Amino acid sequence: MSFSAVRDKVRAGEPLGFDDGVTLFRHPNLLDLGQLANDVRERLHGERTFYNRNMHINATNVCVAGCRFCSFARLKTGDPGAYTMTLQQAWGRLRERLAANDPLTEIHIVNGLNEELPFSYYTDLLAGLKRLSPTVHLKAFTAVEIFFFHQHYGMPVAEVLSQLRAAGLDSLPGGGAEIFAPRVRHKLCADKCDADQWLDVHRTAHRMGLRSNCTMLYGHVETIEERVDHLLRLRGLQEETGGFQTFVPLAFHPDGNALRRLPAPTATEDLRAFAVSRLLLHNIPHVKAYWVMLGIKTAQTAQWFGADDLDGTVQEERIYHMAGAETPQHLGVADIVHLIEQAGRLPVERDTLYNVVAEASANAHGKPFRRAIAPEAGRALP
Amino acid sequence: MTVGDAPTTDRLAIWAPPLTCARPFVAALENGPNKDLFEVTEAAPEDCAHAFRSGRAAVALVSSERFWRLAHDPALDVRIVPHAAISVHGALPNHLDEAADEHCLGDVARTVTEWRKRSGLPFVSWLWVARAGAANEPRLAGLFRRLSAVLADVSVTAASVASAEFLRYELGSHELSGLAAFVEELHRTAGLPSSERPSLRIRLLDLDLPDPLGLPVVRPRRKVSGKTSIDGLLADAAAGSRIAPEAAALLYERASLLDLGEAADRRRRALHPENIVTYIIDRNVNYTNVCVTACKFCNFFRPEKSREGYTLSRDELAQKFGETVALGGIQILLQGGVNPHLPLTYYEDLFRWTKSNFPLALHALSPEEVSFIARQESLSIATVLERLIAAGLDSLPGGGAEILDDDIRRRISPLKCSTDTWLDVMRQAHRLGLRTTATLVFGFGERPEQMVGHLDRLRALQDVTDGFTAFICWPFQAEGTRLRLGDDTTAQRYLRIFSLARLYLDNFPNLQVSWPTMGPTIGQVALRFGGNDFGSAMIEENVVSQAGAVFKLSAADIEERVRAAGFVPCRRNMRYELLSSHPPASGKSHVTAVSRPIGLSASA
Repeated sequence: MSFSAVRDKVRAGEPLGFDDGVTLFRHPNLLDLGQLANDVRERLHGERTFYNRNMHINATNVCVAGCRFCSFARLKTGDPGAYTMTLQQAWGRLRERLAANDPLTEIHIVNGLNEELPFSYYTDLLAGLKRLSPTVHLKAFTAVEIFFFHQHYGMPVAEVLSQLRAAGLDSLPGGGAEIFAPRVRHKLCADKCDADQWLDVHRTAHRMGLRSNCTMLYGHVETIEERVDHLLRLRGLQEETGGFQTFVPLAFHPDGNALRRLPAPTATEDLRAFAVSRLLLHNIPHVKAYWVMLGIKTAQTAQWFGADDLDGTVQEERIYHMAGAETPQHLGVADIVHLIEQAGRLPVERDTLYNVVAEASANAHGKPFRRAIAPEAGRALP
Repeated sequence: MTVGDAPTTDRLAIWAPPLTCARPFVAALENGPNKDLFEVTEAAPEDCAHAFRSGRAAVALVSSERFWRLAHDPALDVRIVPHAAISVHGALPNHLDEAADEHCLGDVARTVTEWRKRSGLPFVSWLWVARAGAANEPRLAGLFRRLSAVLADVSVTAASVASAEFLRYELGSHELSGLAAFVEELHRTAGLPSSERPSLRIRLLDLDLPDPLGLPVVRPRRKVSGKTSIDGLLADAAAGSRIAPEAAALLYERASLLDLGEAADRRRRALHPENIVTYIIDRNVNYTNVCVTACKFCNFFRPEKSREGYTLSRDELAQKFGETVALGGIQILLQGGVNPHLPLTYYEDLFRWTKSNFPLALHALSPEEVSFIARQESLSIATVLERLIAAGLDSLPGGGAEILDDDIRRRISPLKCSTDTWLDVMRQAHRLGLRTTATLVFGFGERPEQMVGHLDRLRALQDVTDGFTAFICWPFQAEGTRLRLGDDTTAQRYLRIFSLARLYLDNFPNLQVSWPTMGPTIGQVALRFGGNDFGSAMIEENVVSQAGAVFKLSAADIEERVRAAGFVPCRRNMRYELLSSHPPASGKSHVTAVSRPIGLSASA
């Protein structure tokens, strides 16, 4: 399979197959991939790049899973660095934002798998946040956490989800997918739910009308074939449910975890992962450049390699920063808008479900950077 | 028509072929106050070479086509007299077109119109050339100084004869670019295959002349052809054609990031088909932070009386140099503040001491430092450079260029050397056989045409001297400095300017990415946007790290990133010669056999 054959397929709007994905990952010319992914990205979203005003809450890092790539988790309360926020502390985070008149639209909540907490901790957490701000969108608990709740509290996944929804849950983040291949999961995160279980949580959520995101953690011990397999499995579920909004490629960070001898992925690999994901996942609307993980400079550049979303203002992030990310804890809206505009894109503030909150009427700099797109390059989203 | 005899036996002659456009010149020479000096003879232009060879003439006014022939004559050493030329910027107006036909200028007029349309560069129609060594240079300088007085009178006449819009009496960087491109074109039309083309250097006569010669400079109206498509411009540039400044500004503002990058990447592949990315191991030693230049964008310097001011002692330097050698370093990048307490002898002693104690190359003193030493010692720049070379100087770093535009320089660094001084130090260094680098710092609120003007000045000088080895650019690092500009210094702008530079600087063999300021991430990505050098595995850096850029990479880190981007890493020295084997960790005799230098001629 040659690159030009894959390019023809993309231009004709045909879905790519496994071999196509491998070809793309192995194609030496990064800018070829960028151009092709950018065509698709511009066809879907034009010049728009989305961002939101959000905050992260990582309520506990106590976690029974011993994932080797993780620098965040501590096995039990009392271990050095272990913490569990009281509900008042967690709610206090939001109170601070509200007191500062931050018009935030989303709270992103991801935690360790803490066996010491009752299920009511989570429902109370959500309900309390909703009481403080009824309009804020609660994007909470990865599929791994939901599956842990199912096992630990002895409830079917659907029951876990509907109780959380009743307490205020609006959607699921996409974490914990890592790489689906059993070989890799066995090596890195044997305690975590497997691929089918992860996908099943999302399937259940989608069927209940909850939207969710999905991810891939790359750049550790996985092969290119395992990456392509992972992406195609996400695409398969999307074909079935249409419930994924956004795909987020996540680069492995090696500091402070059991895989510290591995080199971190470099920026050319990051951009390649973005471009190939955009091309393979034709049915997932958005690809997000998570600046906390990528670094601001690479995240900005990723807007030309398939990404149409820069995530949000974040406020405070612990998981990547404990793995050596050197990005700031917080970006102001003005900073994000600047990054987008200087890349020749049009900044659009969105809420979690991609409703437009604010959109500049025109690129402030009036820079017509955009390339003409071949009309035949179209393939409609479901 | 004989105007007069020179007062001495060493007669100087100016040859002027018949030329309508030059008529004001000639007329002024006939009527001007310097009748005693010049002999203007209407001889066949072909005789010019003969007159040069026989020593009858030292200076001639020749057309650019004839200049090409003269410059190729191996028996002659022809130099252009700086700042004295007639260049044609616009299309010739109709009335001159007719006059041109009458005076056998038809060919020139057609060439000019066509040239402008195709290249977007000025057409230098006539220029003063001199035979180097035929007359001593001070005498020529005197001659041209007096000529300039005549030419000032001429300008009024010139304006009435030819509409002032298109005639200029100046030979600046823009015109030199035009001339170089025209000569290149003549090569092509002469049908010589590229391998057989004689390599023509456009060399300037080293005259101490005011710049420009007190002549009114008529700026052409800026005009960008509406027909030129971005894709077409990029395709031409990627194929190695020279880009005009207007086209470059257009590409900078309009081309998409990936299109620019792709064109630059193609150009890089053509220049460096061996797929090697080079890097050097050296140490940046800032021997003093005391500086009287006080640039607003600098967070490194301390004023003269500051308690935080330092000048490194021999012991401190010995320790740093020794560590550098032990870590496999082959060079010291030595730069400091502009410290008025350090005389030229300080540097001479320091260089000699370094050379006798360490196997290290000295890549030392930016043009600002060299020109400051010259001013302080009341010596010419050439003398300072000659003495430093004798003491062990190997090459000059290209720092302190910022934006080579005097409006910007006055705003951000009013006490720093001017654009012309910076270029002049580089010109003289190249003339003395030193290689140097060139830099650009963006983010000072400069307009695209000012940024392109900077690139244009570098390209024009490189046409003349071929002394620059590499170009490096980075964004202004604002943290802690006194300059608050809010200008765009994001990665996008870096990649855009970087790829544009790869395309514009067609005569620069190497483009170095700036990972110390952009971070290893974008540094690596820039290798796909035209870069072929990863710079230095720096053991120490004090300047940008004082203003918020803190990144560190070892040689192993660099090699890993270069490989991950799909290239083969290889160490080099300052002249970009590949070092055939890596030095052992203890590092003694590591500047071993060197393979061929990477140059423009390596492309095929």
